[in-house]
Amino acid sequence: MKTSKYFAFFYLSMGFLPILFFLLLISAFYSYMYFKELLILIGLDLLVFSILGGLEIYKRSDKVKTNKLVKNYLSNVKNDGYNIVIAGFDIKSKEIKQKQYKVNINKYTSVLDAILDVKKAQDNTIALRYSCRMGICGSCGMVINGKPSLACETNFIKVAKNNVVTVEPMQAHPIVKDLVTDFKDFFDKHSSVEPHLIRENTKEQMTGKTPYDQKPDDTNKFLPYSYCIMCGLCNDACPVVNSNPEFLGPQALSQAYRYQMDSRDQSKDRLTAIDKLTGLWGCEFAGACSKACPKGVDPASAIQLLKMVSISDDLKGKNDGEKNEV
Amino acid sequence: MQLLKYDVIILGSGIGGFTTAIHSSNLNKKAKIAIISKLHAMRSHSVSAEGGISGVLYPEINKDSEKLHAYDTIKGSDYLSDQDAVELLVKNAPKEIVFFEHLGVPWNRDQKGIIQERPFGGMSIPRTAFAADKTGFFMMRSLYDQVQSLPNVDIFHENFATKILRTKDAVGVFIIDLATGKHKVIYGSSLVIATGGFSRVYKITTTSHSTTGDGIALAYNAGASLKDVEFVQFHPTALVPNGILITEAARGEGGYLLNKDNERFMKRYASSKMELAPRDIISRAIITEINEGRGMKDPSSGLEYVYLDLRHLGKEIINKKLPMIKEICIKTIGLNPEEEPIPVRPAAHFTMGGINTDIDGRVLDIELNHINNLWAVGECGCVSVHGANRLGSNSLSQCSVWGRVVGKEVSKNTHDIKHDDLKELEKLAEEEELRLNVLFDKKGMYTAYELEDEMREVMEKHFYVYRNEKEMKKGLDILEKLLKKSTNLRIQDKSNIFNTNLRDTLEFINQIELAHAVAVAALNRKESRGAHSRTDYPKRDDRVWLKHTILAKDGSGIKINYSDVKITKWKPEERKY
Repeated sequence: MKTSKYFAFFYLSMGFLPILFFLLLISAFYSYMYFKELLILIGLDLLVFSILGGLEIYKRSDKVKTNKLVKNYLSNVKNDGYNIVIAGFDIKSKEIKQKQYKVNINKYTSVLDAILDVKKAQDNTIALRYSCRMGICGSCGMVINGKPSLACETNFIKVAKNNVVTVEPMQAHPIVKDLVTDFKDFFDKHSSVEPHLIRENTKEQMTGKTPYDQKPDDTNKFLPYSYCIMCGLCNDACPVVNSNPEFLGPQALSQAYRYQMDSRDQSKDRLTAIDKLTGLWGCEFAGACSKACPKGVDPASAIQLLKMVSISDDLKGKNDGEKNEV
Repeated sequence: MQLLKYDVIILGSGIGGFTTAIHSSNLNKKAKIAIISKLHAMRSHSVSAEGGISGVLYPEINKDSEKLHAYDTIKGSDYLSDQDAVELLVKNAPKEIVFFEHLGVPWNRDQKGIIQERPFGGMSIPRTAFAADKTGFFMMRSLYDQVQSLPNVDIFHENFATKILRTKDAVGVFIIDLATGKHKVIYGSSLVIATGGFSRVYKITTTSHSTTGDGIALAYNAGASLKDVEFVQFHPTALVPNGILITEAARGEGGYLLNKDNERFMKRYASSKMELAPRDIISRAIITEINEGRGMKDPSSGLEYVYLDLRHLGKEIINKKLPMIKEICIKTIGLNPEEEPIPVRPAAHFTMGGINTDIDGRVLDIELNHINNLWAVGECGCVSVHGANRLGSNSLSQCSVWGRVVGKEVSKNTHDIKHDDLKELEKLAEEEELRLNVLFDKKGMYTAYELEDEMREVMEKHFYVYRNEKEMKKGLDILEKLLKKSTNLRIQDKSNIFNTNLRDTLEFINQIELAHAVAVAALNRKESRGAHSRTDYPKRDDRVWLKHTILAKDGSGIKINYSDVKITKWKPEERKY
């Protein structure tokens, strides 16, 4: 309990540092450009958001029930061998219920292996998603001992606390059953940011015989952001997604950035569509998304860079979204 | 029960399914297209493809040619591939690599921006384009993302198909919506099956949990014939103990295979190609080494293995070209391939056989007649480009090439469904609903999980890299018993919401039928060819067995027929590397 509170305070104070730095940069930039109102607006915006964000993390740290439950639980449990606690959503009572199972574990067993063994041998009804078991399909995202993770690449023994591992469904998506959550909204947000190459000549795109021009340096601009497996863990970790369901979230925004930065892309509307408070300006830079991503995508940085691109395009008059609205 | 009308129905959302959808959508903007996936559509097993996609990109620079690619493929197939299909593959494959570039795949390029190609097993010249070792993943993401831009394509995530419904002019699929348990019938004028292979019938496999061959079993039950299912590819380098794929590109980039005595043993089996011999030959070599006592043993799983050594490649090549391999080794077995050799052994990887199709992907029955309105694309279909053994990186090109071929075909096959056909479909759907209800309520003796484990043990033990009459007969006996037991199942989960117990049971019923078909076909083929290697018939026998095995359902039994191998330019010769 206490540690998680400290963690939140730490975040709260740490959260200010990059923001101050960001503010400094932007203020220098804008004072140069004589955009005083905008400077105050953005400054206030970031200030309010960072405070809200910190508060939200603080609230959430209080809400992370599992840790508390696990601790209470551990004091009551006799530790003979390894156990898994599945805190799944019970469809009859419509609440999270915990069930404990004994599992046979060796040094290679992943958390997914352990759950599937339980499903096969002890309780056939457990519902979860899984497929490739090698960390590339993105099915088995869940919260393992309080941390959003992929079950297939989490080693059981490594994460076990007192020989117990607790798994629960992600919290930012509506829960369907046991460990299964509803991804519809998540997919809709992804598809709303034009997540594909836009070409003026679509016929050439489908049937052309020569590759588009791209150098390794161009590729490297978007490559780190193209590893997204759509597992949903970043959105689960994001404090803003958890408090404001309208927010597009780190997954969709990082993918907007991925395609925006591709030198082969010719989109004109992608940035306009996400240039809003529930879009890229909704990010409070808590950084939880980047910490949660199992594939090393850094959505937090993608969103900040996207903000830069959007502002500089605005100044250059490239992004005429705002003007159209006015 | 909900009835939904579409023009083109695509069952399966891997690379084959998605390319079919994209091309048919582009060619016929009025056609309504449905993609049905039992997973979230972007999570299909194609994401696990690692090494790359084959295609002759630079004939003028490296003296490669379509002819050479065709020859390599045919020789790799042990002369069982249909050569007209291979010629179509090699002709169109380069175009498909460019197509994926146009969709956004970040192919590895050199400083000038030229798409790089890497060496692969059985290919005489480097001709495998790649995006690090996540090629399939990048292709899948680009396809899924591209489909988001198509207004006439609907994706049905997590809908499990249980039966193909056929009438004279219409075709439909009976599906269970996993989220709600509700039944639906999606019907229309064309059905494309693109559901992948069935390597999960084996205990240790490189493929994902979902690779259960459902579409093949559905087609088999709907009157389609199966072709060459005895040929199951065992990938030589699957990680011990979990079976995760360590890509052939690891050897393409220069990795060594070592036995207990630190010897590069491939020199005794394929002296010219060494570690880049075709997969069947390396798998046999590894098993021979293990059988002769030159393997090592993992104490926790009891599995024997040899080493794949990448240490001499250096950090830069591993990080740049094989990053996922490194990640997988570290995360799943706690081993860093930069510092230690990787324990590997052969595991089921690809099913060369599948739904019998002609060169246009149209599904055939046992008499080799077209089945109306039905196509198959990708690993689930057997268009016979891989014959008795597939060369690495030819599968991705196969999926994309035939995705385009079939996409074009189905975009033309859109017609209205007559009232009579619809009535008949409804009647068939009611029968299927009844079957499912009986299965759901039945208080049977067994759970699918216990029988599934037994089936996998049997396949692993009796139908592995080396086969013989005695072992296979024993295996077939057990499989037949399991097939009977599969009518006596119980489902513990009685809820409608996300019932994975019901899904697993239906998947098992599909798998046991396919495992049985593999056993029958393997026992029937009395020769050694490609991946089908018999110790009691160690030689290839072109006089009798240069033909495809065709199977069809006959009541509860299986009918066997044969069809000719199409030979255009390359006469069968001895296969040596």
